[in-house]
Amino acid sequence: MKLSIPRACGSWSKSPPVSTTLHKPISFYSSIPSSSPLKPQVPLFLRPPIHSATLSDLQKWHHWAKTLPVPHSDDPPDPTLLRRELKWLLEDALEVHSSVPQMGSHSDDRPIKLRTSLEQLYSVWRQRIEERRPFQYVVGCEHWRDLVLSVQDGVLIPRPETEVFVDLVGDVVTQNGDLTQGLWADLGTGSGAIAIGIGRILGPRGRVIATDLSPVAVSVASFNVQRYSLQDIIEIRQGSWFEPLKDVEGKLSGLVSNPPYIPSDHISGLQPEVGWHEPRLALDGGVDGIDALLHLCNGAASMLKPGGFFIFETNGEKQCKFLVDYMENESKGNFYDVKIVPDFAGIQRFVTGFHH
Amino acid sequence: MAAQSLWRLFLRVPSSSPSLTAVATARRKFGMSCRMSFSSENSSSGSGSREFLGLSDEQLMKQCEMSTFKSSGPGGQHRNKRESAVRLKHLPTGIIAQAVEDRSQHKNRASALARLRTLLALKVRNSIDLDTYSPPLELLQILPAKSTIRTSDCGPQIGPNNPKFALGMLALLDLIFAVEGSISDAAKLMGLSTGALSRLVLSDDSLRMAVNELRTSKGLKPLK
Repeated sequence: MKLSIPRACGSWSKSPPVSTTLHKPISFYSSIPSSSPLKPQVPLFLRPPIHSATLSDLQKWHHWAKTLPVPHSDDPPDPTLLRRELKWLLEDALEVHSSVPQMGSHSDDRPIKLRTSLEQLYSVWRQRIEERRPFQYVVGCEHWRDLVLSVQDGVLIPRPETEVFVDLVGDVVTQNGDLTQGLWADLGTGSGAIAIGIGRILGPRGRVIATDLSPVAVSVASFNVQRYSLQDIIEIRQGSWFEPLKDVEGKLSGLVSNPPYIPSDHISGLQPEVGWHEPRLALDGGVDGIDALLHLCNGAASMLKPGGFFIFETNGEKQCKFLVDYMENESKGNFYDVKIVPDFAGIQRFVTGFHH
Repeated sequence: MAAQSLWRLFLRVPSSSPSLTAVATARRKFGMSCRMSFSSENSSSGSGSREFLGLSDEQLMKQCEMSTFKSSGPGGQHRNKRESAVRLKHLPTGIIAQAVEDRSQHKNRASALARLRTLLALKVRNSIDLDTYSPPLELLQILPAKSTIRTSDCGPQIGPNNPKFALGMLALLDLIFAVEGSISDAAKLMGLSTGALSRLVLSDDSLRMAVNELRTSKGLKPLK
C-alpha cells in the first residue's frame, strides 16, 4: 500500500488542515455566540418523569414501533438490534421499567410515568427508522464499559472497540506505577469517554487533560466528567490537538487519542447512522485517513516525557503498519517498544509505545 | 494439559436450553459454530467444575480468551454500535459462553462470565467414588422430604427457582453421571423411588436436558 505523507507536517502545529477544512459550523449551535457556554442536552434517562401515558397507549406505541417499516437501504439496520434498541428506549423512558411487565397484553388504563411525552416517543422512533438517526442520539447516551455517557448531535458516539484503551492503560500503570501520578492527555476527547475511563484508573493522584476542537464536545465531555465527579482529576480544554497543551510540553506521562482516521472518500459510503449524523470532524482523516494520526505521532515526541506512553486508535492494519514503520524510520530514535494491538474482533486497531 | 484428565465433559450444548437461548441466538445470527473441545474421561480425583466455580470473576476471566464476533468490515469509527457482543472461551475446558444483549461490551462480558459459570456447572462433571460417596448438603436440600437419606436439619426442599438449586443440581448431575445415567441406581443412593427422582429431574429444564443428553449418549430412553 502506498500512503502519501503530507509534506507539510511541520506547519501543522499551527493549523492542522484536518481541523480547519472540516470544521463546519453545526447548525443548531452556530447561532449561539461563541462566548456563551453551550448547555449540553440532558440524556433521556436523567430527565424527570413528568409525563405519563396509559399502559394501553404505550402498548399501542410499542406495537407501532415494532412494525414501522424500514425504508429500503443497501445497509439496513439489523432487525434484532432494532428490537433491542426499542427495549432500551423503554428502559430509559419509563420511570419504573418493571411497570410494563407485559407489553402487548390487553388494554389497561393504568398511568405509566414517562421521562418524555408519548408524542415524542413516536417522533424519535420515526427519526430512528426513517432518518437512520443513531439510537444513542435518540436517548442521548451510550453505555460504554461500566459508564453511561451523555452524547448528542455533534459528538462522536464512543465505540465498543475503544473500550480497550482503558484496559491498555490499566496494564501499563500496573507495571509502571510512576505513570499513575503523572499527567495524561486525551486529544479529541469527544464525549470524554477515554479520559473518564483513564481518570478512574489513575485515581486521586492522577491528572488528565482532555481536549477537543468542537465546542459541543467540550460541553458534553464536561457534563460527563462532572456526572462522574472527576472534575478534580480531568480538565477539559478547547482547541486543536496539541495547541491547548503548550504549558505541559515534554511533561506528559501518557498521550491517548482516537482521532478521525477514515479516508475522506469513504465518508459518503458510511452506514447512514454514521455518515449522515455523526460529526465529520471526528471521522474524516484526510485522503488516506492518516493526517491526524501523523500529526499526533509528530507531536508525541515533544509532548511526552522520557518513558511516557502513548496509544492511538487507527482504521486497521494498513494504518497501524504505516505508523509503526513511520515511527521506526522517519521518527527514528524517538520511540521504543512500538506495538500493534488488535481489537477484540481481531483487527489491528491500536498502536502503542513509549517515548525515549 | 494434565488437569484435563480430571474432568468428564459433556460435549454438546443443548441448543433449546433456556439459559442458552442467547447463545443459540448469537450462533444463528453470527453463523458461528459453538462446538466444545473435549478432554478424555477419567475419574481419578474429586476435582472439576466445583474448582472453577470457586474462582473469583477475575481468576476465571484469566482462564478465558475473550473475543467479539468477527464481523465483516472495518469496524471502529465506520460503524454505529458494531456488536458489543462478547465471546469467552474457557481455555481449560473449551467451553464457550457468549452475551449479546447488553448495552456495553463491559456488561456483556459480565453476562458472558455468569453464563460461563452456569455452563461449567452443567457441563463439567466432578468425579465421584461411589464406594465412599456421601451426598453433600446442597444435594440433600433439593431432595423431596420423603427421601430416606434426608435428615431433619436439611430444612424445607429447595426448588428450581431458588438460586441455591444450582449447586444441588450440580451435585445430582455428578451422581447421575457416576451411575452412567441410570435413574433407578441414582434413586437408590438418594433414598427415593425411581419415580420421585424422575419427577425431580423433570422439574428443571436444564437439569432434564443435561440428564437426557447423557441418557441418549448411553443408549437409554430420555425421561419424559
